[in-house]
Amino acid sequence: MREAITAKAVWRERGRRQLASLRFRRIAAADALLVLAGAVVLLIIACAIVPGWIAPYAPTEMLTDNILKPPSTDHLFGTDYFGRDIFSVVVHGSRDSLFIGFASVLIGGLAGGIIGAVSGYVGGIADTILMRCNDILMTIPGILLALAIAGALGPGMFNIVLAVAVASIPGYARVMRAQIISIKSRTFIAASSSMGASPMHIFWRHVLPNALSPLLVMATIGIGTSILTGSGLSFLGLGLLREVPDWGTLLSQGRGYLTVAWWMCTFPGLAITLFVLAVNIIGDRLRDDMDPKKRRVRG
Amino acid sequence: MKNRYSFRRTATVLIALALALSACATNNTANNTSNNAAANTGSGAAAAGDTKETAADDTAAAQGGELSYALATSPDSLDPHRSGLAVAVRVIRTIYDSLVVQLPDNSIKPWLATSWTVSEDGKSYTFKLREDVKFHDGTPFNAEAVKYNFDRILDSATKAANAAALLAPYQSSEVIDEYTVKLNLATPSRAFLGNLSQALLGIVSPTAAKKDGDQFGQHPVGTGPYKFVSWQENAEIKVARNESYAWAPEIVKNTGAPYLDGIAFKIVPEEATRIGSVQSGQVLAGETVPPQNIVALKSDPNFQLLSANTVGLPYTLFFNLERAPWNDAKARQAVKYAVDVDAIVKTLYLGTYDRAWSPLTPGTFGYDATLENSVKPDIEKANALLDELGWTKGADGIREKDGKKLTLQYVDATPNREKRNDIAVIIQQQLKAIGIAVNVEITKDVRTVVFTNGAYDLYGNSQVNSDPNALYAFYHTYDPKGRASLSRLSDPAIDKLLEQGLVEPDDTKRAEIYKEIQHYIVDQAIVLPIYVFPYTVAAAKSVEGIVFDSLGYPLFNDATVKP
Repeated sequence: MREAITAKAVWRERGRRQLASLRFRRIAAADALLVLAGAVVLLIIACAIVPGWIAPYAPTEMLTDNILKPPSTDHLFGTDYFGRDIFSVVVHGSRDSLFIGFASVLIGGLAGGIIGAVSGYVGGIADTILMRCNDILMTIPGILLALAIAGALGPGMFNIVLAVAVASIPGYARVMRAQIISIKSRTFIAASSSMGASPMHIFWRHVLPNALSPLLVMATIGIGTSILTGSGLSFLGLGLLREVPDWGTLLSQGRGYLTVAWWMCTFPGLAITLFVLAVNIIGDRLRDDMDPKKRRVRG
Repeated sequence: MKNRYSFRRTATVLIALALALSACATNNTANNTSNNAAANTGSGAAAAGDTKETAADDTAAAQGGELSYALATSPDSLDPHRSGLAVAVRVIRTIYDSLVVQLPDNSIKPWLATSWTVSEDGKSYTFKLREDVKFHDGTPFNAEAVKYNFDRILDSATKAANAAALLAPYQSSEVIDEYTVKLNLATPSRAFLGNLSQALLGIVSPTAAKKDGDQFGQHPVGTGPYKFVSWQENAEIKVARNESYAWAPEIVKNTGAPYLDGIAFKIVPEEATRIGSVQSGQVLAGETVPPQNIVALKSDPNFQLLSANTVGLPYTLFFNLERAPWNDAKARQAVKYAVDVDAIVKTLYLGTYDRAWSPLTPGTFGYDATLENSVKPDIEKANALLDELGWTKGADGIREKDGKKLTLQYVDATPNREKRNDIAVIIQQQLKAIGIAVNVEITKDVRTVVFTNGAYDLYGNSQVNSDPNALYAFYHTYDPKGRASLSRLSDPAIDKLLEQGLVEPDDTKRAEIYKEIQHYIVDQAIVLPIYVFPYTVAAAKSVEGIVFDSLGYPLFNDATVKP
């Protein structure tokens, strides 16, 4: 048991060091980019939480006398063919887009993580069966899988989340399994086991905490992917026609007006691009910080 | 290590994707006026047209040349008796002729039939046929061919779709002599001659139809001004001039063979690409122009916009009269007063579509023009009607009665044809103002949701038709064993009128009957008529002579392409 406590202490110490490195080393140098990305993400999350404080109009308000107006001081992003203020619709639409992103990563990451962990830790026949099923899922490109699922389930918020989540499961499962297997073969696990720790104890105390960090990084980047996939699905008309459209739906609605009103597609498109880009930058940096090899090189 | 690289790759791909997505949008800021962007992203189908265009340019003068014409979707079949799509009719009309033709004033004129007589009881039609007509495969056109055609539609083995409905109440044919045929009907029908003029009752070659069986739709043979040449799935259909054509109907000027060498119908489903191909010169003409482009094209000196309002039933939102609370006329009238159709037509269609006022379109026989401007949006009246029915506004602004919310299930189909989904979005907002929660369901499977399950309160549809009898299928009490009508209306008085309208021999009386029906439908708010769909064609200035038949389908007999 003493060994276990020591391992925990090591883990805690490492976490402290990571935080410290974030605090001092990063911000000092060339990380205006990270700060910017963080600001963008925070701003968009704020939009999703309190859209009413930010948007000047209600997203459903149709100013029928002001249709297809280009960006101006009254309408920052212009108006669409319903006469809605595009800025307000984009702000309000962030809620659904972000919900799709976060919810599907949560579901997909959890399911994939469990599958990968079971597969990697239990091994044997369970591993074979789970991984072959995973391989089958992997043979289908993620977006295609999501399309097929959304098509079969029909339009709906939850169905989109489910479609995007299922499509992301194989990736998480693979990473989790590889991570677990590599940690399983480390000497401190063997030591722990030889001291009589039960497999469950070893899993919860040693294997899982050490295997989580790549999954967290992957999930962060996955939020971007999911928002993109979700927007793609609603762009293709597989989403639900809601009162407040999400970004993908907005793009889809503006598509036919590209030649006469560029602003209808541009701003929702920019919102998607910015958010995905920002999340990726953060994910990238998170990965660097959690990667012990990389840290050694830099330090 | 491996993980790290795959992360980086994922991230790179993502950023690339995100950029590509936004690039679609940002590129166009620069190309706002030139329209090149839309054209360049065009499909292979449009690009393939380029080479053919140059080949056609060599044959100068009005005579000759090939017209490339972009269609919005792919036809399902070129067998008129089996096809169910309006887009197929644009091609079918070039390959087949009908017995008679209907002029825009609704009068019926000779085509393949030179004259006809109707029996006293209205149950048999005797046609004298032209004697100089031959099918493209050399088969002579005669009474036997006519009999074969109509019996073919009746034959359940053919699986005729819309054609079978149009041919009703046809029963049998008698060949009287080589060029005289008598058609017998089960009941008299005033719609019959008009229906015979439709392309879906076009005359196919009996030899070819027998030979090709189910495959006839891929190898169509008729008597029309153009012969079928080739069909590349989802890309192009080509037809060529029928040199021996000499029996054009009165609706076109050129009675002989068409001037064009041929027509290449390109299938370009994406709206922006289709119109972009016309603007960049990849095709000479393209159909179904979105409203926002109509406005721009009208002011462009290099292009012309041809347009013909379709006739029959306008795009109409049907209440399902079997579902409470919308089975109550007052509830429906409240909706009628709350929906501002003018605002819908003005914003979505930018004034390029006409607003519909009646369950029939202008131009259809019996259309009642007095219904125009008969409805004005009146929120107070709408609210009063709902108050009267006992629906009171709850805390969230939605009305309630006996603990139930006032909801309206609005079903519409995907893809978003003619911006119909956007109508749902607007109506959702307009009805919210009087406390109705509209639940919009967009489905791919209209057949199940609407026709099998009847799970809708409001569903929109339109129909191109040559006769006001089109109302019969929508408003007559339906056969409980058969398919339900969209309105599910069951009113003995209306049933009687619809039955009278079908047989009434006197035109004035017949028009009165249909006017009464239209008034009833509008007063009772059985439906909300929304817009009359104009069939629009964007074409280069060099294209001339495309005319439209009484239903709004294009005819290419007079068409020419200036080099």
